Amino acid sequence: MFKESVVMKIHYSTALGSVALVAIHIMFRLTQNFHDSLQFDNVLINYSILSYSILLESILILISIHGFNGLRIILLELNQGKIYENIVTYGCLASMIVLITYGSRTILMTSMGMI
Amino acid sequence: MNKFQKNRSGIKSWLNPWGYGIERIAYWLMRITGIGLLIYFIIHIYETSSILDGKAAWNKMLELTQTTEGHIILMIVIGMSTFHAINGIRIMLGHGGIGVGKPGRPDYPYLPKSQNMKNKLCIYAAIGLAALAMLYGAEIMFSE
Repeated sequence: MFKESVVMKIHYSTALGSVALVAIHIMFRLTQNFHDSLQFDNVLINYSILSYSILLESILILISIHGFNGLRIILLELNQGKIYENIVTYGCLASMIVLITYGSRTILMTSMGMI
Repeated sequence: MNKFQKNRSGIKSWLNPWGYGIERIAYWLMRITGIGLLIYFIIHIYETSSILDGKAAWNKMLELTQTTEGHIILMIVIGMSTFHAINGIRIMLGHGGIGVGKPGRPDYPYLPKSQNMKNKLCIYAAIGLAALAMLYGAEIMFSE
């Protein structure tokens, strides 16, 4: 699919992006009392801010790519073989797509007020 | 001859970080924290989806997660993510040739130049900062 060097560049750039965006995501929890920030109405207000929803969607995509590629690397270190490598690569890719779709559904529906 | 060598010792030796110095422990911690963070991320996506079922479902989920056990799990996640991020940056710099030293003739006792004091200190710093981040997180969560 991709050369392994390209995959590693994607892996590292998603890592750096995730660190920066997750830091902002955590800071949002600390703008007020931690427990209060998790209350239903406060979370809804967070989702209603377009830039914050975009931030959440970006975190979802970046961490999913980084996480499942990391899992793929770990599994390929444990065992090798053409069939095994294909199963691991496509399995991780499919899991990544499912997780992004599921998370995006929550972000989209909540930010559009479909609750 | 088989193109691929069999991984004879398998997952058992993968799970054993001892006997090869701090770099082997960092390698092991990087993978363990990575898997732990991926599991947490999947659970986090699932738990936040309860918001779609309304206020009652969200509050029920909060009752489950905003407990002492939930806070301890979150503390461990904070520690894992701090270590994973700092050690990850060290690895990235190493792959870019930064901090691994100049290549040299292999002389006795054949210590790899890349496994130098700078890298070892970075690993210890990552572990130390992860512990500090856990304490900071605990202070915020348990002081309320």
